[in-house]
Amino acid sequence: MKKLFSLLVLAGSTSVFAGGFQLNVQSARAMGMGGAYTGFSWSTESVFFNPGGMCNLKGHNFTLGGSLILPSVSLQTPSTDNIDATSPNATPIQFYYGGQILDNLFVGLSINNQFGSSSSFDDAWEGRFIVQNIALKTFSFQPTVAYKIHDYISVGAGFIITTGNFAYEKAIPVGSVDTDYGKARLSGSGISYGFNAGIFSTILDNDKIRLTFGASYRSGQKLSLEEGTAEFTDIPLSLQTSFPASTSFTGELNLPSVISTGISATYKMNEKNSIMVVYDFNYTGWSSYDTLAFDFANEDTPDSKTTKDWQNSPTHRFGIEYVFNEMIYVRAGGYYDISPVKDGFVSPELPDVTQFVPTAGFGVQIGEHFGFDLGWFHQDAQRESDLTDAGFTAKYHRMADGFTFSATVKF
Amino acid sequence: MKKTGLVIAAAALVVAGCKKTQFAEVERTSGDADFTHYIAVGNSLTQGYQDGGVYEEGQENSYPSIIARQMKLVNPDMDDFEQPMVNNTGSGYMHLEYINNEITVISPGDTTTQPTEEDASWSTWGESMKSIKYNNLGISGITLMQCVAMDDNEKIINNIILGGASIDIPFPPISYDIPGNPFARFMDFGDNPHFLLGGGTPIQYVDHIRQSEATFFTCWLGDNDVLGFATSGGIPTEIDGTLLGLGTVQYGNLSDPIMFRQKYDSVLTAFSSIGAEGVCATIPDVTVIPYFNTFTVAGIKQDYGYADVWIEEGDLNGGVTQVRVATENDLILLTAKDDIEGGSGASETDPLTNDRVLDAGEVNACQTRTIEFNNAIQSSAAMFNYPVVDMHGFLEKIKPGVMMEGIGIAPEYISGGAFSLDGVHLNPRGYAIAANEFIKVINDYYGSNIPLALIGSYRGVIFP
Repeated sequence: MKKLFSLLVLAGSTSVFAGGFQLNVQSARAMGMGGAYTGFSWSTESVFFNPGGMCNLKGHNFTLGGSLILPSVSLQTPSTDNIDATSPNATPIQFYYGGQILDNLFVGLSINNQFGSSSSFDDAWEGRFIVQNIALKTFSFQPTVAYKIHDYISVGAGFIITTGNFAYEKAIPVGSVDTDYGKARLSGSGISYGFNAGIFSTILDNDKIRLTFGASYRSGQKLSLEEGTAEFTDIPLSLQTSFPASTSFTGELNLPSVISTGISATYKMNEKNSIMVVYDFNYTGWSSYDTLAFDFANEDTPDSKTTKDWQNSPTHRFGIEYVFNEMIYVRAGGYYDISPVKDGFVSPELPDVTQFVPTAGFGVQIGEHFGFDLGWFHQDAQRESDLTDAGFTAKYHRMADGFTFSATVKF
Repeated sequence: MKKTGLVIAAAALVVAGCKKTQFAEVERTSGDADFTHYIAVGNSLTQGYQDGGVYEEGQENSYPSIIARQMKLVNPDMDDFEQPMVNNTGSGYMHLEYINNEITVISPGDTTTQPTEEDASWSTWGESMKSIKYNNLGISGITLMQCVAMDDNEKIINNIILGGASIDIPFPPISYDIPGNPFARFMDFGDNPHFLLGGGTPIQYVDHIRQSEATFFTCWLGDNDVLGFATSGGIPTEIDGTLLGLGTVQYGNLSDPIMFRQKYDSVLTAFSSIGAEGVCATIPDVTVIPYFNTFTVAGIKQDYGYADVWIEEGDLNGGVTQVRVATENDLILLTAKDDIEGGSGASETDPLTNDRVLDAGEVNACQTRTIEFNNAIQSSAAMFNYPVVDMHGFLEKIKPGVMMEGIGIAPEYISGGAFSLDGVHLNPRGYAIAANEFIKVINDYYGSNIPLALIGSYRGVIFP
């Protein structure tokens, strides 16, 4: 009976983070207009969206904001009419500073949660061998400088430091007389580095019309989980050498690059009233996320490698803003997001769907020094697909509402 | 205050709206099928045999009982699916223990540790059950040959194989006792037509089908027409029929394909004559199962240090033709474990015996016959307009290993997740997988929408 025993139990079944796990809630104002912010310049959020756009800032500007995302996901499988995921609400935050320190030199700082995903199911649900609970949360810090070459063109760049926390729980299909299945819990954290650079141009600006253009590139980042902890519980005695109570693992999560270009056109009806239309094109380099591998320190634990094979995917964002009396800002827009996840790779923890998402928002400027903004989006889409590697098929219905609120102080 | 109110109002709206992702209850339908009285015919797989025995938990998770459980979701009024249940450990079965840091298979009768022995009631099991009409008519070990007799001789022989025969007269002193199939004892086979054995009227297996009142059936017969031969290493079983004027009766050899087709037609005629609808299934290539693949020639050389593996090559009737060095085309049976660990097969003078090896010639004969039988099943079913579950193709598909519900499944011993410890039969998870293959074909052909069984809810191997 030597060598009789090769374990299939972990192989292929570890799939993590389907769904674009990028959080597109980095600005209340952008959210009101479909998430577009590359092609215009208005306030501190440029530090994140397009560092080149910072150069229109005056004085010192601080924005503090937060979001509330209320997701809801249900599944239908060939066995079960309806399964509700218990995805918790997410509350990403944002802080931006941008200020002018010399005539042509600007500095900024961005702190936000750019990537995140969290999904939970009942422990005994039918996809438990794929995922029970999963959570990723990143914090990115980006000190930034921008330089105004002349009135019509400026450039900027920032250095990104990202910290990430990751936790993942799934059932392992080994049972004993006392237990129906075992459980794995992987958790880890890591740091990654990247950069963000952009160029911004005011093509035309007169009494009636302003046209602006921007482009930016945010690099990909390799988030290494160097000293992750893997814990195995409810494992039959005879398999505890393969699945010990605790071992460490290493893994790597590739956060994607984003190329963005955007334009804006403003028509000024008079000094205090104007209307602006914006359009952004994002191209997110999800193909970096081709495999996800965990290597366990314990030799007998079967290493896990999952093919994700995501595709680079474009997103079109557009919006309109009406400024009333230089005080009330009313916004509407939407984005069309093409899923990076091919059929056959859709996973229950965050089923990604190609969809059109409507957004809206408004802002109020109170005097010169204080303003606040509120943005809203609403996702509602369905998709039916296999997760071929896991032998799992489901119809997904995913809804989410997101609210972003931010306050800006300027002096 | 105003804006806070707005946010709360909007959030409340959204929270209320979140419920909308829920999918509506699916309206379940039997389609064109009538599942009111479901009858399953077949062999050990149908009876729920696993881990080398029939026991209570195994029967509760037979594939027909799983199908019935799912059918009930589309037709809550269907008749209860009655099975001829054994008590507790039934005939006894194999289990795993962890001894000296090794996973070890413990069979009934093993003296090293506490085996799972047969239940006290097993010796008389079935005797009081013969008048009950069960829904699960699966009998471990039954071949299609034994289901229908083509002539009087066969009636006598089938009756002996299934029901046993016994003569005990003091003068002239004759004592003749052949036990029947112990797993068939729940079924009444009538009297043996041979004048020495009572000269009465037999009840054939196919007669039970005719009397089954089936509105729907699954038929997975025919495996043992190859499997019995294969698992014995190509050695048929013999009954001494000299006293009955029948000479030596051989069974458990490869069945004749023409007879196979005729008898399959008879079984389907029986169902068709009572207006039952149903589904048939092909038989897998038996050589794919762990029983034949756990020990390989290369594996024995590597793990036990053999220079060569010596085997007896057999003919198709149990005779030995030669002793030779085994190649990768010869399959070493799982039952050869003790022989290999005792050093057998390492030399020409101590080869692995014929009953431990399905040699290349026998493998070839099994595979050829399997294809012929499956062709017979396909054309017979087509003639009666019954759909066929391609179990042969399905096993080929999962041969390299597949994922289902995130669970790795492969035809590998212990680690493969779906086969029981005897290496031939499935475990509850494996039977759930088989049940789903039936359900898919039923839904497809009859327009029903029986939900698939959750294979993760059925246990795999129980690890120590």
